[in-house]
Amino acid sequence: MSRLLADWVVRAYLAGAAVGLTAPVVGSFLVQRRLALIGDGMGHLAFAGVALGVVLGASPLWGALAVAAAGALFLEGLRSRGRLAGDVSLAIVFYVGIALGSVLLSGAGRFDASLLGVLFGSIFTTTWADVVEITGLCALVLAATVASYRGLLAVALDEETARASGLPVEPLNLLLLGLVALLVAAGMRVVGLLLVASLLVIPVAAGSRLAHSFRGALLAGAAAGLSSVLVGLVAAVWQGEIAPGGTVVLASSAIFAAASAVGRRAARRHPRRGLP
Amino acid sequence: MPVIEFAGVRFAYGAVPVLDGVDLALGPGAFVVLAGANGSGKSTLLKLCVGLLRPQAGTVRLLGRDPRDPEVRRRVGYAPQGLHLATSLPVSVTEVVAAGLVPRRGPFGWSVRGDRELVRRALAAVALEELSAECLFELSGGQQQRAILARALVGDPEVLLLDEPTTGIDQQLRPQVAAELRRRADAGATVVVVSHDPDDFHDVCDRILVIDRGRVRQVTHAEFHLHVELGRPGPGGGVAT
Repeated sequence: MSRLLADWVVRAYLAGAAVGLTAPVVGSFLVQRRLALIGDGMGHLAFAGVALGVVLGASPLWGALAVAAAGALFLEGLRSRGRLAGDVSLAIVFYVGIALGSVLLSGAGRFDASLLGVLFGSIFTTTWADVVEITGLCALVLAATVASYRGLLAVALDEETARASGLPVEPLNLLLLGLVALLVAAGMRVVGLLLVASLLVIPVAAGSRLAHSFRGALLAGAAAGLSSVLVGLVAAVWQGEIAPGGTVVLASSAIFAAASAVGRRAARRHPRRGLP
Repeated sequence: MPVIEFAGVRFAYGAVPVLDGVDLALGPGAFVVLAGANGSGKSTLLKLCVGLLRPQAGTVRLLGRDPRDPEVRRRVGYAPQGLHLATSLPVSVTEVVAAGLVPRRGPFGWSVRGDRELVRRALAAVALEELSAECLFELSGGQQQRAILARALVGDPEVLLLDEPTTGIDQQLRPQVAAELRRRADAGATVVVVSHDPDDFHDVCDRILVIDRGRVRQVTHAEFHLHVELGRPGPGGGVAT
């Protein structure tokens, strides 16, 4: 029991809770717009950013953030020209990000086991400085999302009508992808770049099974994300050997399965309130 | 000053001309139905009105300005054709209608006192108050259409541009929708309704316009049906002003 409250575990809880709570809030807008895979694309691009940070002697987190932000601009450019509708463009972005990262790291002689932490998370090695960095980024993302909530929702519901009504659709789209880039950088330590997008999607999917409004789905998704991280971390600490990034994502999948079952039961009792 | 003004507007999708020299001027309080066959350019004309499309020749002015001006667009209630909302997550009817107020409050603006009442009134106008808390995607197509119409009506915009607003709505509710639009026009709003069949509105609208071979012509209700049967407008055609 004492291990569950050890200093290094408490730091993991704090950093993980910040990401688990924030990721579904941003992810709700991506899922609503069927852009769930964009988070994956940015995670892959951020790998190249980590490598760039290592090569240049800068912080991997800021390297990941810089390249993910540049990727956000690029992906929004593709999306707004209608070239992101198919999956080929996004797939190419995935591959280029991973390939560029591997080339840069191997060229710098840093292609070693520490990469596993970047790809699959290394939350138990977070320092208090990391906790401050991660929670600060998450607080920034949450504040920006709350401030622009109504505009982001109007665009997510119906981009054409939002544009016809005078909303600044392109700046709002860029803002959303910028927030995803921040989230990817913050979540890198928690579940790793290959799994960070899962926290943008799976808790949101769970929340959508229980709610009848966007706000309800968003709040339920945030609760599911927070629960996923805490349950996953406790499981990893308790067992002692397994990777926490994986347990967090598996916990979120279990919560999704439970939410789906509850949602189906509610739909049978009240047919009108069926699954979305 | 006309609220909506087209002067010599031409528009084509690729090599296919849709509008060819359209002149149109609608003032405050005008209520017109834009009718015609599929592909005649009705929805295109509506999108030109609000600046979603740009004319390849001629000019379009909305409230005296470029329709792409956000300040102008915020004074318009627009409802595109069909049930086009993103459907991945549940969205309540109230959330959909309240989204119509966001342009006025700004993308970073908060709700103000009275917004809830504006949403309630818009829902009442389309007889949807009782379903305000329901998830939109659990409703029938006609109920969803009424919610989309309420989103365009909320906040009493000066211009209403509605593309097939009664599609899927029960026959007995259509007169209520038509009467509501008449009431808006009487209060000074300019109302343009695109419809395959103007029967829903012929008792309340001022004019029926038909797009024929790229031009807008005014017809009577009887002439419209003659147009449908014979494939061309009857007498009374001419530039719509």
